[in-house]
Amino acid sequence: MDLKVKYRGQEKILNFDKDKVKAKDVLKALGLSKDFAFVVKNGEIVDENETITQNDEVRVINAISGGKIS
Amino acid sequence: MRKCFKCSQKAQVYLPQHRLSLCKDHYLEWFDNRVEKTIKEFKMFKKEDKILVAVSGGKDSLSLWKALTNLGYQADGFYINLGIGEYSETSEKLTTKFSEKIGRPLYKISLKQEIMPIPEIKKHDSRPACSVCGMVKRYYMNKFAKDNGYKIIATGHNLDDEAAVLFSNTLNWSIKYLKRQYPVLPEEDGFIRKVKPLCKISEKESAMYAVLSGIEYIEEECPFSEGATSIDYKVFLSQLEEKSPGTKLRFYSEFLRKMYPILQKSEEKPVLKPCKICGEPSINEICSVCNLKLKLKKQEERV
Repeated sequence: MDLKVKYRGQEKILNFDKDKVKAKDVLKALGLSKDFAFVVKNGEIVDENETITQNDEVRVINAISGGKIS
Repeated sequence: MRKCFKCSQKAQVYLPQHRLSLCKDHYLEWFDNRVEKTIKEFKMFKKEDKILVAVSGGKDSLSLWKALTNLGYQADGFYINLGIGEYSETSEKLTTKFSEKIGRPLYKISLKQEIMPIPEIKKHDSRPACSVCGMVKRYYMNKFAKDNGYKIIATGHNLDDEAAVLFSNTLNWSIKYLKRQYPVLPEEDGFIRKVKPLCKISEKESAMYAVLSGIEYIEEECPFSEGATSIDYKVFLSQLEEKSPGTKLRFYSEFLRKMYPILQKSEEKPVLKPCKICGEPSINEICSVCNLKLKLKKQEERV
């Protein structure tokens, strides 16, 4: 399935070869760790084992930021 | 399905290092309490103090401003428009909107008017943009706060920022910087007190607070921060954290508890004096911002 996700102010399409994926698969597809990233499904933060389908509104938050080392 | 530790409703947040599952409302409450505890642990400020929060439009500074307001502190915002194209325009818009939403004043200055925008400075200065940007931000924060009667500046530095800096400073054994790595920098020699109330809150915890509070913040990274080494250190530390939750908090907290007091015993301390041009504290006769201005002026005259 193709999954539409909002990520860092942009819309991205992620392609999976199954119809249901877990939140951790979405993070993995974007190369993000659960230590600093998470998935918001239909307005709620979900844990990495939550199932995501094509009908869900998905937002991925990457909390890591840089440029502050002094 | 995980249930909230406090009310048994469905949990939205799980905090592995605290082994704690919380629903939305109890997470927001947990966050505010953690900020309050940190303020008290390090004796940062009191309820009657006027605080200036340095806000950038990002998740950390806006979450901090919200938490301080929720906790009943008199916290006003201070924003510097760095002149970095759309990135600065968006961050200023979001910060202004947020200030209106929480009903607290926001003071703004523009680097374009004070010196020149960061991309322009970058053309005339070989240092990394982040280093120049950090220097001018520290300078104007201190100056503005003093000129306007604020005794405390609060910044949104989080646990990941502090752990990454600590890691970098330890790798290099930068004693000078390690000695200053504390969540409270006292008022001295023309500098006002600087505090970091989010120092025990991770970057993810801060982002979850922003999302669950409905804070609109700038998610895009500053275009100049690309390739910053802090990201590498943060990613490395997060790999350790995934394997062993609590590593970052332990690394940072134990440094403060065991190592920081030892470092304070060594005598060496830089002597600061007022800058000959602007009067702000400086190690040299002329401070680094006035030096930068002079250099830029000379280069403009040559052109």
